[in-house]
Amino acid sequence: MKQTLTSVAGALALAITVSTPASAGGLVNSAVNDWTGGAVMCEIVHQILENEMDFKVKRIVMPSGPGRDEAIRAGDLDYGCELWPSYSTTIQKYVTEFGGDGSMLKVADAGVIGVSSYYVPRYMVEGDNAPAPDLKSWENMNQYADLFKTLETGDKGRLLGCPAASWQCEDNKRMELLGLNYEAVELGSEAAHWAEMQAAYKRQEPFIAYAWEPHWIHAALDLVKVELPAHSDDKWPATGWAEDVTFNYANPEFAEKNPEVIELLNNFRLTNEMQAPMILEVDVDGKDMEEVVAAWLDNNEDTWKAWMPK
Amino acid sequence: MRLRNNNAATYHGFDYRKANLTITAAADNSADASINKVPLNKGLVSFRGYNLTIPVFIAIGVLISLAVYSLAANRFPFPQMVIDAFPFADWINDGRVWLEANLKTYTRAVAEVVKVPLEWLEETLWTLPWTVVLLLLVIPALAYGGLKLGLLTFFGVLFWGMVDMWYEAMSTLSLMAVSVAFSAILGVMLGIIASQSDRFDAFIKPILDTMQTMPAFVYLIPAIFFFGVGATPAAMAIIIYALPPAVRLTNLGIRQVPATMVEAAQSFGSSRLQMLFKVKLPQALPSIMLGVNQCIMMGLGLAVLAVFIGGGGLGEQIWKALTRLKVGWAFEGGISIVFMAIIFDRLSYAISGVAKDQTRHVGPLFRLLPQKWDQNSLAKAIERPIGALCDLFNNIGAKLTSLVATPLRFIVPGIANVFSNRPLLIPGLLILIAVYFLATQFKWMNSYPRELEFSIREPIDFAINWLTVNPTFIGITKGIRSIVFLYFLDPLDSFLTGLPWWYVMGLLGLIVWKSTTMRFAVVTTTFLVFLAAAGLWEISMFTLAGTSVSVAICMLLGVPLGILAAYFKPVDSVLRPILDAMQTLPAFVYLIPALFFFGGNKTTAVIATVIYAIPPVIRLTTLGLRQLPTEVNEVAGSFGSGPLQTLLKVKLPMASPSIMLGLNQAVVFALAMQAITPLVAGLGLGKEVYDAMSTADMGKGLTAGIGIVLLTILLDRLTQGWTQNQQKALGL
Repeated sequence: MKQTLTSVAGALALAITVSTPASAGGLVNSAVNDWTGGAVMCEIVHQILENEMDFKVKRIVMPSGPGRDEAIRAGDLDYGCELWPSYSTTIQKYVTEFGGDGSMLKVADAGVIGVSSYYVPRYMVEGDNAPAPDLKSWENMNQYADLFKTLETGDKGRLLGCPAASWQCEDNKRMELLGLNYEAVELGSEAAHWAEMQAAYKRQEPFIAYAWEPHWIHAALDLVKVELPAHSDDKWPATGWAEDVTFNYANPEFAEKNPEVIELLNNFRLTNEMQAPMILEVDVDGKDMEEVVAAWLDNNEDTWKAWMPK
Repeated sequence: MRLRNNNAATYHGFDYRKANLTITAAADNSADASINKVPLNKGLVSFRGYNLTIPVFIAIGVLISLAVYSLAANRFPFPQMVIDAFPFADWINDGRVWLEANLKTYTRAVAEVVKVPLEWLEETLWTLPWTVVLLLLVIPALAYGGLKLGLLTFFGVLFWGMVDMWYEAMSTLSLMAVSVAFSAILGVMLGIIASQSDRFDAFIKPILDTMQTMPAFVYLIPAIFFFGVGATPAAMAIIIYALPPAVRLTNLGIRQVPATMVEAAQSFGSSRLQMLFKVKLPQALPSIMLGVNQCIMMGLGLAVLAVFIGGGGLGEQIWKALTRLKVGWAFEGGISIVFMAIIFDRLSYAISGVAKDQTRHVGPLFRLLPQKWDQNSLAKAIERPIGALCDLFNNIGAKLTSLVATPLRFIVPGIANVFSNRPLLIPGLLILIAVYFLATQFKWMNSYPRELEFSIREPIDFAINWLTVNPTFIGITKGIRSIVFLYFLDPLDSFLTGLPWWYVMGLLGLIVWKSTTMRFAVVTTTFLVFLAAAGLWEISMFTLAGTSVSVAICMLLGVPLGILAAYFKPVDSVLRPILDAMQTLPAFVYLIPALFFFGGNKTTAVIATVIYAIPPVIRLTTLGLRQLPTEVNEVAGSFGSGPLQTLLKVKLPMASPSIMLGLNQAVVFALAMQAITPLVAGLGLGKEVYDAMSTADMGKGLTAGIGIVLLTILLDRLTQGWTQNQQKALGL
């Protein structure tokens, strides 16, 4: 019976769907980042494509990483926003600028510049009862290692390192080379990493953790950077991270066929300062991301009008 | 090998469990024959009438192992030379590249077949008024499952709108409907073939075993390469992943048709095909439907994980919530999935006709409240108007049906039967059409009105937050964490990884030989050599340690809880829905609270595993005790045995096969969870699988996946061997 009902309903619905007008600009499949900053970035492009350029956008949300890059190479996804070069294991294989075969096209810098480092909560370094007032640079880390001791790490301090080995942060190597009495633990997923930090923060417990900016965690928790030695390729990983000049990327065939989309992506720039308030509104105030972006577009017409393809 | 997703067993009592037990027996008949020879119940060592052979052997084994550990700890890593000569993961990746180059056009063409109905259905469900979709699900639920299922479906579907996940639920619904339809058709066809050819059956059985124990993530990695990303590849992965139960249960159902029935049909001269389609298939229908039901439950599990390849729907909501640590949001998505699972499960169960209640009631038929309350006057007072209303509707329905069906009979002969067997069909259709047109007039009937939204995020977030900072609660969680880590996990980890590999292989081989057969002991050792050569020895030992600790905790907590539930009805009725939810709630949902409370470490992974794997232990303990004949109490009582003595000396030993089956299920469930726990710092083979998923490394994923499969098969057979030995010792 269910089947009969479904087919009747289906027939009814078909009548409706047939009358939907087709999009003039065509359909694009966009890779939507699963973190707010990157998602905001893409959403701006989507809304411009939909409202101003008559495109229909299919938003496909999946964790970023090699799987998504494979999909862009294969043409299952047309473009993606805000790729962080430090954490991509595939750009050296696919992006020409990084020595790859060109099966993934770097369109242009996205505007966001990423900074990664170790962070501690402000209550640890500031205030009258702050347990580690001098913990602002790596040189003083050993002095406070005792504060971070746990069951699992024994005598060493516990550093919440990069959550996934595939990001190649080499936290433990860094500790060894810098002679720091810490053990970096890997929590497996970003979600676990932030959850651990947030729970410790709520309980005002000491922790030292890897993090980066821009990120919503800084809107939720008041964190202070621990300075690492300036980045150098030769001494890596005994140094801090290089700045991440993020970029937007696309499937080369799609780029050839849709020059106007590529021109938009090419002109598009969203700096850290422009992105941060939107992240705050979505993740801290709990607003709907589409609405936040729509409001931004309303208020910044001059900015995005300049990005439009000529 | 048993079905991994045992949810179904939770809802309907005995039938499902029996089916599962039969599957076990059928799947492992090869091992059965030789188990008879195992001389475990001879009782070499005994003390005051207790057979202490096994404890003594275990004690000796532990002592020898400790001695070996103190002499040779960490001095025998598996030879790197062998590992270098066996780059299994690279071979798989090379094979993948070749297959991708040569097969991709074909796999894409196959995916198109799924894509067309999937996109059509999704679009349809998105555009249909929500009231129409609601009725499309509620009417069949009413027709097949009565008022209770109808109401449950109504609230379940309403919930999707309430928490503002209507469209996501529609996407998941269409993904599920299309992939389960394909999977079931394909599975039933393969099952029919397997039932007709012993050769094909023997060929497909190990493949099905492997498929059912392979972590779900492993199905998603090749999907990226061969089918792309989005809903269609997710559907392809689900079709393949959910296939085994349909094949297995179709095969089983057909093979179990009573011989007398087959003979009778033969004596009437039916051909082989006639026999199959007219006698065997109809007889096997309940079993086939059970297979479809299991197929649905497995499919839902993967539908959530499919977010890793852009599958969308409710899984995407849960993932977004998870990455932003919004626990309440994740719970809303998770509960939406639980409702979908329960609706699908009970509806398919009701449609299959297996649930038909054969017992006759003496008093009035209860439609909403439990039938066993039919002596209670308050319950009767509540039921009376409900019953009258139902009768009224049924009468109107019957009148309408005959009104429409009578003229139709002249146009299409035979159609009257279709209608008269389904009294709700015509009225249902009429209501649907009416609502459909009304929805064009009234906005609130067309898209779910915002005023009716009712978010439960804030109270959940508040509760979780309160617990996170509550010093007493965190003190308790820290205590648990320290005990588990210091006394169980850490010692076992260093013990297993420190022991020489050849010693562990030999010891496991010996245990398997003593518990099952020589042949399987050889197979086991081959498994272990493969794991070591693939470079997975140490992490396999981590997995073994983590799983053992999780299962031990499951037994320590689950058996007492099961006993309590068997003795005290209220405990049982409180536990039941909690266990249901624990098994259907996507693990993603409770990982973050687990992290908030226990922190990111191996112990949290163990706790998450316990949450997932404990329900079968509790259930099967309760079941085992309840199944005992009532005379047991009387006989034991007449010998002057108190209730506690009866429990410990009579009932528990008699229920031990069922409890052992619970252990076996816990092992299989715990291993299935291993690929999820890396999200909260779990280590071992599961982490390899998870990392492979996030780096799209098929070779690594498949190798570690095979590792999990091998460990599952090993532990599954081993615990099954124990169950059977126990049964034999009791003369069952």
